[in-house]
Amino acid sequence: MKRIGCGAEAVMYRCDSFGIEALAKVREPKRYRIKALDDELRALRTRREAKIMSLLAEKRVPVPGILAVGMYTIVMEKLDGTLLRDAKKSQGFYAKVGRAVGSMHRAGVVHGDMTPANIMVVGARPFIIDFGLAGITDSAEERALDILLMKRSLEVKRFASFLRGYSSGNSGIGRVVERLSIIEKRGRYQVRTLA
Amino acid sequence: MAVLGIESSAHTFGVGIVERGKILANEKSMYRITNKGMIPAEVAEFHIANATDVVERALDASGLRIDGITGIGYTRGPGLGPCLQVGQLTAKSLALRLDVPIVPVNHGLAHVEITKHIARLKDPLALYVSGGNSQILKFDRKMHRYSVLGETFDIGIGNMLDALGRSLGLKHAWGSEIERLALHGRYIPLPYTVKGMDFAFAGLLTKASRLAGREKNEDLCYSVQETSFAMLCEAAERALLLSESSELCVCGGVAQNARLAGMLGAMAREHGARFARAPDEYNSDNGAMIALVAEKMISKGMAVPLGRCGIEQRYRIDRAVL
Repeated sequence: MKRIGCGAEAVMYRCDSFGIEALAKVREPKRYRIKALDDELRALRTRREAKIMSLLAEKRVPVPGILAVGMYTIVMEKLDGTLLRDAKKSQGFYAKVGRAVGSMHRAGVVHGDMTPANIMVVGARPFIIDFGLAGITDSAEERALDILLMKRSLEVKRFASFLRGYSSGNSGIGRVVERLSIIEKRGRYQVRTLA
Repeated sequence: MAVLGIESSAHTFGVGIVERGKILANEKSMYRITNKGMIPAEVAEFHIANATDVVERALDASGLRIDGITGIGYTRGPGLGPCLQVGQLTAKSLALRLDVPIVPVNHGLAHVEITKHIARLKDPLALYVSGGNSQILKFDRKMHRYSVLGETFDIGIGNMLDALGRSLGLKHAWGSEIERLALHGRYIPLPYTVKGMDFAFAGLLTKASRLAGREKNEDLCYSVQETSFAMLCEAAERALLLSESSELCVCGGVAQNARLAGMLGAMAREHGARFARAPDEYNSDNGAMIALVAEKMISKGMAVPLGRCGIEQRYRIDRAVL
């Protein structure tokens, strides 16, 4: 296993699963918190993330396929692509991204960190990645928070295209957009900036 | 140039004097809190009674005479209205009498700035934890102000600890009582709420308060500390990596807690970042931090005409230009 990256949540390794090039996401112990709490959080989050990824795969939402799950480890298919953040894509492509996010929401999942750094472009297809902060809910508030993060990360025309894609075939869109404007009116978010 | 800073956002009336970044005085008087908590009007009255005395003590400590003061700073907010008023009025009368520039300062910003100054940090990620505030901050050089990367969705961690202390029947100061009792506690699972770089404490407080009397105080104190501090560490860790900071600091009243500092230090070390916090006298509310920031602002030409000085109870740090 070769260490290829480290996030706040987990360490990523490149590995080989029955001859397939794969990624292992390992939630390693955090020494700053006590073991009982740490073990519980890591196991719970690994279980939840694996459950969400397989649920999405079942509903044909474009996500990496799961190959194996351990107590604190998820082994998944390694996508060969570029992050949307670093990819040069036309405005129209963002409608595809919007459709993918819409299908994720319809499957009952919110992402929790929905930014261009968590979209992998493989050929002409966007895949949603990293479900470390995701949850299972149909709350309009939580969905709107995903959209809000995208809005803050994209320039205006790209976001408009994203929203068109998101709206297509999404019956709950009215509620989410309404919620988005409510959230934006709250002082807390108006002045917030993300790193 | 010697600048006198006045802090009065809550139960502390503090006066500090700073000359070219050197802290010459940091005097304070603190309203004694009982189990009723703080009644703003009563605290303001206390401040009124003590204001001149604290100013005089600060001048004595600095070795300066009053006409040696060439600038005044005071806390504009956030804080309790009646308390802020006393500081503002004291500052204005001094500025009027001495005919020197005056500048209003954001309280939270001053906590971060004095920590940076004392620990000689360049561009740290800052965790600001006090009674009413719990925020993860980073200075935005383009905007000349702090960005809030993450913060509490409901109550500040200090108020959470105080409320827990009261429901456990502890005496003021609840924070340090909880820290002491926690040394001999065992872990009970409690609600843990982190969402990205934001967090929430209300659920944790409700659950822990309901267990009061049924579980040992030591165990509750230990578990609330471990759970809430781990939440702060996790959010700060995410912010540290996202903002690619090589320095982390903690400031504000709760920064005096040794366990929190220990956890943050361990987290920073894992990512090769330097960790720092200021001595306790600067983490509790104080006038020196206000003087320090005021001196910087005045030297940048940011002084404000007397008529436009004011207070603002909900003065958010991300609106304060520096």
